[in-house]
Amino acid sequence: MEKYTFVITEKPDAAHRIALALDIKERPKKMEENGVPYYVAERDREIVVVSALGHLYTVAEERKGRSQYPVFDFKWVPRYLAEKSASQIRTWIEAIAKLAKNADTFIDACDYDIEGSIIGYSVLKYACDGKDQVSKRMKYSTLTKEELEKSYAELLPHLDFALIEAGLARHEVDWLFGINLSRALTGAARNWSGKYTTLSTGRVQGPTLRFVAVREKAIRSFVPTPYWEITAEVEIDGKVFEAQYEKEKVETKHEADAVLNTCEDKDGKIEKIEIKQSQQPPPPPFDLGALQSEAYNLFGYTPSRTSKIVQKLYLDALISYPRTSSQKLPPAINYEAILKNLSKASQYRSFTAELLACRELKPREGNREDPAHPAIYPTGGLPARVLEDSERRILDLVIRRFMAVFGEPALKQSMKTHININGHRFLLNGRQILKEGWIHFYEPYVRLKEIMLPPMEEGQTVTVKKMMLISKFTKPPPRYNPSSILRRMEETEIGTKATRAETIQTLYDRKYVQGEKLTATDLGLEVLEVMEKYCPTVISIKFTRELEEEMNRIQTSNQKKEEVLAEAVGILKPAVEKLKKNQKVIGEQLSEAIRKARTDERTIGTCPICKTGKLTILYSRKTGKRFVGCTNYFKGLCKTSFPLPQRGIIKPLAKGCRGCGWPTVQVLAKGRRPWTICFNPRCPLKEGREKKE
Amino acid sequence: MKCKACSREAGENGYCELHIKGYQNIIEKYNVWQKAMQISWKEYLSEIVKNPLTGDWAREVAESMIESGEKQDGTSD
Repeated sequence: MEKYTFVITEKPDAAHRIALALDIKERPKKMEENGVPYYVAERDREIVVVSALGHLYTVAEERKGRSQYPVFDFKWVPRYLAEKSASQIRTWIEAIAKLAKNADTFIDACDYDIEGSIIGYSVLKYACDGKDQVSKRMKYSTLTKEELEKSYAELLPHLDFALIEAGLARHEVDWLFGINLSRALTGAARNWSGKYTTLSTGRVQGPTLRFVAVREKAIRSFVPTPYWEITAEVEIDGKVFEAQYEKEKVETKHEADAVLNTCEDKDGKIEKIEIKQSQQPPPPPFDLGALQSEAYNLFGYTPSRTSKIVQKLYLDALISYPRTSSQKLPPAINYEAILKNLSKASQYRSFTAELLACRELKPREGNREDPAHPAIYPTGGLPARVLEDSERRILDLVIRRFMAVFGEPALKQSMKTHININGHRFLLNGRQILKEGWIHFYEPYVRLKEIMLPPMEEGQTVTVKKMMLISKFTKPPPRYNPSSILRRMEETEIGTKATRAETIQTLYDRKYVQGEKLTATDLGLEVLEVMEKYCPTVISIKFTRELEEEMNRIQTSNQKKEEVLAEAVGILKPAVEKLKKNQKVIGEQLSEAIRKARTDERTIGTCPICKTGKLTILYSRKTGKRFVGCTNYFKGLCKTSFPLPQRGIIKPLAKGCRGCGWPTVQVLAKGRRPWTICFNPRCPLKEGREKKE
Repeated sequence: MKCKACSREAGENGYCELHIKGYQNIIEKYNVWQKAMQISWKEYLSEIVKNPLTGDWAREVAESMIESGEKQDGTSD
């Protein structure tokens, strides 16, 4: 049998794209090996392109023992040996091994980042019998035919072993922290209560939970203080405007009343008009974090949802590699060609024409760099399938941001008018865009409200229509949202761009936080308290960042993986021993929080009949069926109960019914849209519905 | 000793680790309220219990202070 070139990719979609690009006729043959798809492309020689399914190998303990800890001995094993749900991986690895046998040239074509490099390396090393040492590397940032062909023609001579070593260290350190700390917490709670609940924490998860918990404590301990705002309604040119008192917060009622009394029924005089013009440069191109933030602010998409969407757009060759921290767009990506391709879509034609008419295309860039990939940019390709709304929105956002970075600075004008009302100064602010510049390209996504003021001159008298005194209170610090917590992780440099969104999701999955505005639950606060008490170093930002830096140094400056691992174990070992020694106290503390979390999960709200009990999801002893009952039933005080659907997940909603204010639940059933139940039989919304029927 | 606002173990001021910060904030912010509105300690406590911006733990402390008649200096009626 003739030998061929073996190409390994990260995901099946990428394998298809690469085979399509490399086949001379763009018609690679799709084949199967024991149900595992692969592609055969014809070029200068036969090329077999097969994909992994993400990570096929993982870190596992040397000797099995699910609840034993501490564990410091580990090895890399096929994932099916470590995870029950990964049985499909066995067939996959066997198919890859079989296909690799008849190959004489090996190419790693996984994504060029830490995770992709480890996926390719482990497959070549373990499934392909040590071919990591002879394999070449494809490096590309988009899955377009041109770039893939170029990357195949200019193969890197070997794998990036420094990057791989850094990645292996990251996985191994994370495994050591995750397995030991999580087993300590889970075991302590199980030994105390006899019930199993997965509790986890880790090298990045702990400090992230800490951000949320610190904020939560500040909010729950917050005491507001009063202050007053004074506003004057003034009439200029027949139009009414609100001018603010120069002191934004008046701290005593006495002072506020005095200002109000002095100004009432008096006219104002324009003392001074300050006009300032400023240039606003275009925003830098998107790195992953900035795109996730923008998508959350504009569309409400969580960072993990945006990650999934951009991954799909990347695999469709519509955008460049998204897991990048770069804010640079090198000329090599060919700005002009991308804009020309984008002009095929009618909605961008006029914009691209404007840019292509410019003498020089020079993007605004940010400071952040990524050695492996440029910032996120559109390839210029048009979708070959109908995109989902969310995909269409994100693609449009990326395209418009790409065009905007080539735009000219916007010219803005702000106007501050000082109005003197009987000796007190009030300010009237206006703002206006004089020249749109880049805003023209990014217009749907710019949140800038213009406030136009009429022409005025100094010395002009204005009529004060009304004086207003508004009583206000200071507000607690805001809760993090999925976007701001991600930014906080970026600022403090904990986690990686590829894993931060996942870490935030884990906090939700473990029920340590809840709600769109991240609210730490009692369980989350207890877990953190345990960690702070028994192993504060492990959750300290300083330690986590230092460890991150050391892992980065493996890649950049010859730091040894073994040294980093030894240091991590040095910190971890005493921490785990302390947790083990105090597991009884910890178990009691966590079990109580778990019990409360379970009760809270079933509590729907205050009983609207007796007003003192709580409506809770209960199960009938006779039939096992679920229903809603009042907790005062057990005291013989209230017999309120309501039936519940027996299928689907019941989720109590924090908001009461908009028609009557009664507690509500949401039902999530397979194959149906989620629906909300209000338990009030006389709810006005139901009456409305009945009348319609 | 149990916390004056919940059933957890109390520290120095009679409040647990969760409620102590709320207690400190209540004591500290009274001066601001007094200067702003000239109100008494009792009026202040009932104002912050009513205020939706008050944090849960601070409210629980304020409620327990109203119930026990605890004054700003820690003494009771």
